[in-house]
Amino acid sequence: MGLNYYQIKKNILRARKLVIKGTNTAGSGHPGGSFSMAEILGCLFKNHLTFDPANPRWEDRDRLVLSKGHAAPGLFSNMAVAGYFPESEIETLRKFGSKLQGHPDLKCPGVEFCGGSLGTGLSYSIGIALAAKINSQDHHVFTIIGDGESDEGQVWEAAMTAAKYKVDNLTAFLDRNFIQQDSYTERVMPLDEKLEGDDISEMWKDASRWKTGDKWRSFGWNVIEIAGHRVEQIDAAIKKAKATKGVPTMIISRTVKGKSVEHMEDNPQWHGKAPDSDVVPIINLELDSQFMIAPSIIAGDMTNLENEIRKCVSGRANFIHLDVMDGKFVPNKTFDDNKIKELRSLTSIPFDTHLMIDEPLKHVKNYIDAGSDIITVHAEVTDESSFGDIHDILKQNQVSVGLAINPDTELPRWSYKFLDSLDQLIVMSVVPGKSGQKYIEETHEKMTRLNSILQQHNFSGYIEADGGINLENIGSVFTDGARVFVGGGAIIGQPDVKTAIKDFQDEVLRSRRLSLLEKANQLGGVDLVNKWIGLHVIGEKQEQLKKIAREIGYL
Amino acid sequence: MNDPIMTDMRSTYSKSLIELGKKISDVVVLGADTTDSLKTSGFGKEFPDRFFNVGIAEANLVTVSAGLAVSGKIPFASTYAIFLPGRAVDQIRNNVAYPSPPGKNGLNVKLVTSHGGLSVGPDGGSHQTIEDIAIMRVIPNFRVFIPADTVAVSKLVPLMAEKYGPFYMRMARSKTPLVHSESQDFQVGKGITLRDGSDCTIAACGITVRMALEAAELLQHEGISCRVLDIFSIKPIDDEILEKAARETGCIVTTEEHNIVGGMGSAVAESVSESYPVPIKRIGAQDMFGESARDNEVPLLFEKHGITSINMAKQVKELRNKKL
Repeated sequence: MGLNYYQIKKNILRARKLVIKGTNTAGSGHPGGSFSMAEILGCLFKNHLTFDPANPRWEDRDRLVLSKGHAAPGLFSNMAVAGYFPESEIETLRKFGSKLQGHPDLKCPGVEFCGGSLGTGLSYSIGIALAAKINSQDHHVFTIIGDGESDEGQVWEAAMTAAKYKVDNLTAFLDRNFIQQDSYTERVMPLDEKLEGDDISEMWKDASRWKTGDKWRSFGWNVIEIAGHRVEQIDAAIKKAKATKGVPTMIISRTVKGKSVEHMEDNPQWHGKAPDSDVVPIINLELDSQFMIAPSIIAGDMTNLENEIRKCVSGRANFIHLDVMDGKFVPNKTFDDNKIKELRSLTSIPFDTHLMIDEPLKHVKNYIDAGSDIITVHAEVTDESSFGDIHDILKQNQVSVGLAINPDTELPRWSYKFLDSLDQLIVMSVVPGKSGQKYIEETHEKMTRLNSILQQHNFSGYIEADGGINLENIGSVFTDGARVFVGGGAIIGQPDVKTAIKDFQDEVLRSRRLSLLEKANQLGGVDLVNKWIGLHVIGEKQEQLKKIAREIGYL
Repeated sequence: MNDPIMTDMRSTYSKSLIELGKKISDVVVLGADTTDSLKTSGFGKEFPDRFFNVGIAEANLVTVSAGLAVSGKIPFASTYAIFLPGRAVDQIRNNVAYPSPPGKNGLNVKLVTSHGGLSVGPDGGSHQTIEDIAIMRVIPNFRVFIPADTVAVSKLVPLMAEKYGPFYMRMARSKTPLVHSESQDFQVGKGITLRDGSDCTIAACGITVRMALEAAELLQHEGISCRVLDIFSIKPIDDEILEKAARETGCIVTTEEHNIVGGMGSAVAESVSESYPVPIKRIGAQDMFGESARDNEVPLLFEKHGITSINMAKQVKELRNKKL
């Protein structure tokens, strides 16, 4: 079974936009903490929680307790996406008569816990877990606590109680975003170590300063520490937690408050503040412009792909692009599903398997079983019928569905009917099967044609640019609409993969900032440009944005 | 009056819980290290899987109970009164009283405390809760009881289990005099007329009910006919019985081992002032803290605050002169 990678991504995007809509309409609320836990909730709702929106009080449902109740918009948005109520209802958030109260409330069917008073959700979850044990029920309790609320003594009373009563049917997440209302947690009340300087990222970078895991371990918990915006790590941690018997599990998830919106990220001001209406369209565009870097390991040492994978993982690639070539569809041969199976055991990072093979329908099951999370097949070797079958098999197995087109292939008409559920479209910008080729410039025009077709047919997936992507062209490829960038020689061929990935990201970021500035200018001229830039108060973002704005003549 | 028969509320509570546990499998009991003192550990021996001792962690005690309740259990959570409303009022409000499943008001948690009021004695003022009734009755959805004796305890425990919703019941530490007959009926929001009278009323609760009866006896010798009510259900309070008492006897003395501010006396005054205002005198802790007193000195502590049958009789006589 795959990870449902893109499905989760898409849900998270919808949920984040609803958080913005809800808090903006309400004029107050807590977007920062809603965004730091967005991936956790997205993964839970799609892959792990057993629930039925039509029967929210179903006895055997899993329970989700949001102890950090101020992140209510995050919970409500995910519930809307999951079908508990129409997404439009998010506009009633915090209003008189709404079931969407300022903090989660049993008034809203599906909500399990009235949040608001911090530090109590874990105790409550223990009560639910104990009741399930008494009744010999096997549903699971998932609880999300905040790092700020970990100041509360009751959290540690609960920690002891859960260990004493061995509530292994309880899994908690610590949304470790390092920020509470007043300031950084390590300044208000350190959970790890006291923050001496102003740069919160020093806590992130230096694992030797992390003490929170030790605290929970010493209280008798099974502790798993993850990067809390990585869906695959969340997913793997939940699986491990559920398989651990005799002790409760705490998944310490290092997250970024306000994640995905630059001016909110790591900014204590966005703990509890709503975005202004004039900025909302810019934020939504920014959310739509999240991007991923996917190194292609065949550009590396084919005799030691294991090592290439390790370099990509430690280099913080979003996922790994695996080019499967069969020597028939393309002249070259690389590896097949057996190799992928071997590599799968090394890491939980998503595998983006690009099948450059003949008769993909015949082989697709093998690649699912090998552990692919995204599988892309070529339009040149499929038709409506075979692609339909592939599409269905992949979806059934929680594998994201991709379709690829070669440089001289137009998107076939038969594929239009699949576009609204297609997760990934690979637009090849080199002829597949040969390495070291240059980006084909005509691809830019092709992207313009494609975008209009994709829009007409409600494509909500991600465009992956594959072939000859480098630091010079990646910005314009982003502007074309690509959101995933396969890096071959420009990443894997570099002495320091981590830096190469970072350079890719920085270039895309620059291009994205440019497009957001254009949006601001288009919507509100120089005033909005200045206002939006002024929101970026953390780190060097403001100066960097001003520089771009000056370059394009906005300032 | 005959010498009172003294019985122990905590033993009765323990016995009642075990009986209840046998009848209702959803009943669970929680404690916070005071389970031998509260005698709830007996339930734990009988039903080890339905008994949880969370240690000296009252906030946790309340919230774990809330989680059990939202899952269909009927938790009885107990410790000393000073540590429950006194310490965990946030959890009581936000985790028990406030969360309301569809069609329900609050969660089905029963908070039962011992060591309420001044009669705690030797442990001193730090342990003598004189605020819990005020705290608990101001929280929506909670119903608040102070039983006068073990008969009341034995009747109120199953009553709380039978009625959905949050309850608070405060018991006394020391043995208490029996005032009710075994056949006495107890209902939520219904006071009990223990002695009829036409010249005045004493509304009492807890261990002061016996004192009120003694005061009425004293007054009878002086030709004053004094009605005595056991207002064990402080919330909801019996507006009807109080209005009737006001109309028929013209004045009301209240008595309790709780601060006169916000306690049962205040509840009575609120009720009567809206239905049929008559002069009222509140007897209780005089808005000052208690202090240590050995068991045989507790009457001295009560006397300091005027909580004696003699003072009750005296207040009745003074109040009669103020009748409208």
